[in-house]
Amino acid sequence: MTDRSGPSRRAMLLSGASLTIASPFVHLGAARADNREIVVASWGGSRTTAMREVMFAPFEQATGIRVRDDGPPEAAKVKAMVESGNVTWDILDTDIPAILAMVNAKLLEPIDYAKIDKAKLARIPSVLHHPYGLGHLIYSFNIVYNTKTFPNGTQPKTWAEVWDGVRFKGARCFPFRGGLSPQLEFAAIADGVSVDKVYPLDIERAWSSMDRLRPLVTKWYATHAEAIQLLSSGEIDICCTIGPRGLVAKKEGAPIDVEFAGGKLAPDNWAIVKGARNTEAIYQFLNFVIDGKVQAELAKRIPYGPSSQDAFAHLSEAESRQLNTSPENLAKQFWTDIEWWGKVAENGKTNNENQIERYARWMVKRA
Amino acid sequence: MTALAASGDLAGPANRAWRARPGLMVIGALLFCAIVYLGPLLSLIGWAFRDPKTGWSLLQLYRVATDDAYHLAFLVTFRIAAVSTLICVLIGYPYAYLMATSGPRLATLLAAAVMIPFWSSVLARSLAWMILLGRKGVINEWLIATGLIERPLALLFNSIGVQIGMVHVLLPFMVLPIWAVMARLDARLPRAARSLGASPTQAFLHVTLPLSLPGLAAGATLVFMFAIGFYVTPALLGGPDDLTIASLIEMEVRDLLDWPFGAMLSLALLALVGAIFAVGAVFAGARRLAGMEGR
Repeated sequence: MTDRSGPSRRAMLLSGASLTIASPFVHLGAARADNREIVVASWGGSRTTAMREVMFAPFEQATGIRVRDDGPPEAAKVKAMVESGNVTWDILDTDIPAILAMVNAKLLEPIDYAKIDKAKLARIPSVLHHPYGLGHLIYSFNIVYNTKTFPNGTQPKTWAEVWDGVRFKGARCFPFRGGLSPQLEFAAIADGVSVDKVYPLDIERAWSSMDRLRPLVTKWYATHAEAIQLLSSGEIDICCTIGPRGLVAKKEGAPIDVEFAGGKLAPDNWAIVKGARNTEAIYQFLNFVIDGKVQAELAKRIPYGPSSQDAFAHLSEAESRQLNTSPENLAKQFWTDIEWWGKVAENGKTNNENQIERYARWMVKRA
Repeated sequence: MTALAASGDLAGPANRAWRARPGLMVIGALLFCAIVYLGPLLSLIGWAFRDPKTGWSLLQLYRVATDDAYHLAFLVTFRIAAVSTLICVLIGYPYAYLMATSGPRLATLLAAAVMIPFWSSVLARSLAWMILLGRKGVINEWLIATGLIERPLALLFNSIGVQIGMVHVLLPFMVLPIWAVMARLDARLPRAARSLGASPTQAFLHVTLPLSLPGLAAGATLVFMFAIGFYVTPALLGGPDDLTIASLIEMEVRDLLDWPFGAMLSLALLALVGAIFAVGAVFAGARRLAGMEGR
């Protein structure tokens, strides 16, 4: 569900399953140099470039510990590493669904919150202190729309309006595949469930609401880049996709804007790979990068919400308005309930895994 | 081998060994195949039937056998592959015939036309089709501008888009085997048929077509096999009704980390393709299907 910037995700689509199946036999990563080095696996592209600039390089200067970046931090790769006993990554930058899958497969170390700076941690909403991941960069699923189809604030502003194909004409696109959970919260809200009562999700009610959405959806997209491309070209009018991605496109001149109201917030997190050795350097790194000022610098380069509310002291009002975690935008949206999605159901799988599977089933069987 | 035999006295006993057992020469290739194909296949079988608790288990097989959602996905996959193969035959056969019967210049041009798109990535080509086929794409804009249609045609995110994208990628695999057989065909044979009073159609139906069937069978087999495993093109150009089994295998392996089930789905696909090939082999002959006949 994470927002994967850069081309790596696309390239991975091609190599796909064959690579992951072969990976236990092929050791791709370089061996660790020494304990004055940590390896951070992130998503590449502009995201890693910005992180290098405002996080990795200053950290190296401050501590003398080298930060190497690698990635993409796919769960299947971590699995291959941990199971072969050849762990070359220390820290992952990834989303909750991936973390839940990895926790279930016992691929992560829990985060020792005693080793995290208390003052800095206090400025990060407690919903982001997951036992296996510390939220640092916030993405959100929002109503992203084409401004030529919906000029001057005529866009749908609630999920019920997105579900309303009569009053709001236009082609929709929604995410499917690529590890994306179905957007059951929005389906429930569109059906009249109030935002504060979304969880625990009424699964059956949400799916019957999805049935009503289905005929309105022109494309079930697999990558967020695809969604933004479809919106930019005017192929699609309304999209449920990552808001910050829409803002990147808007900055580049695409006829796209983001409606924050009703959005669903979720964190990309720092997580620690099981068997990562250099514990002290890892926590030094974490304490360095969760600092509000460091996060603010990152937010100036990529429009994802900083998790620390301290960051907004270092950002202008105009900059804050475009970020999903500014106090004003935060109030219009809700947090993904990590616990609900991670809850293990009777069949031993998490709600997330079960609903992803049901999503595929629903798509194939049309029910 | 004749050159080797002639120089046998000079090269000594080592060469004589090669001459006596030419099979030795393929050992390298066999080893390569064993490592690159057989190894992963065995590992896949291991994943599919292993169970952390009981050692071995048929649980994954049971899941594949009893879940009708996956059966439907297999059906969709085979439907898409069959339609692609049929379209490739209908376009590829006349194309290869033209290539084989035209002069060298036109033949080169035709070969280039089918090969050049082959050199660019499948992903790039799928994205290009998205630009061409969309609601506001080049084709629809042009058709509307010329007044041929009023509202854009639905060419994308449905099976039309999938087939256009797939046939574009797969066509060379159909054209080349047919052409290879036709180019070797003795041009005097259809002419002999004509001289004995056959009409052009009769000469084609009774001489050229039967002789080119091995190429057609080889092309169709290749195209069908490739089409079964297609993943990127249906994902980008298709709609919800074009969800292939490859997508679901990817979901199990990459997103749900359910490698045993992913492995079992892969094996099931392999077995089904194998079964289809076996049925084809019974009717058409394995050598013909593999394109080995007519040499």
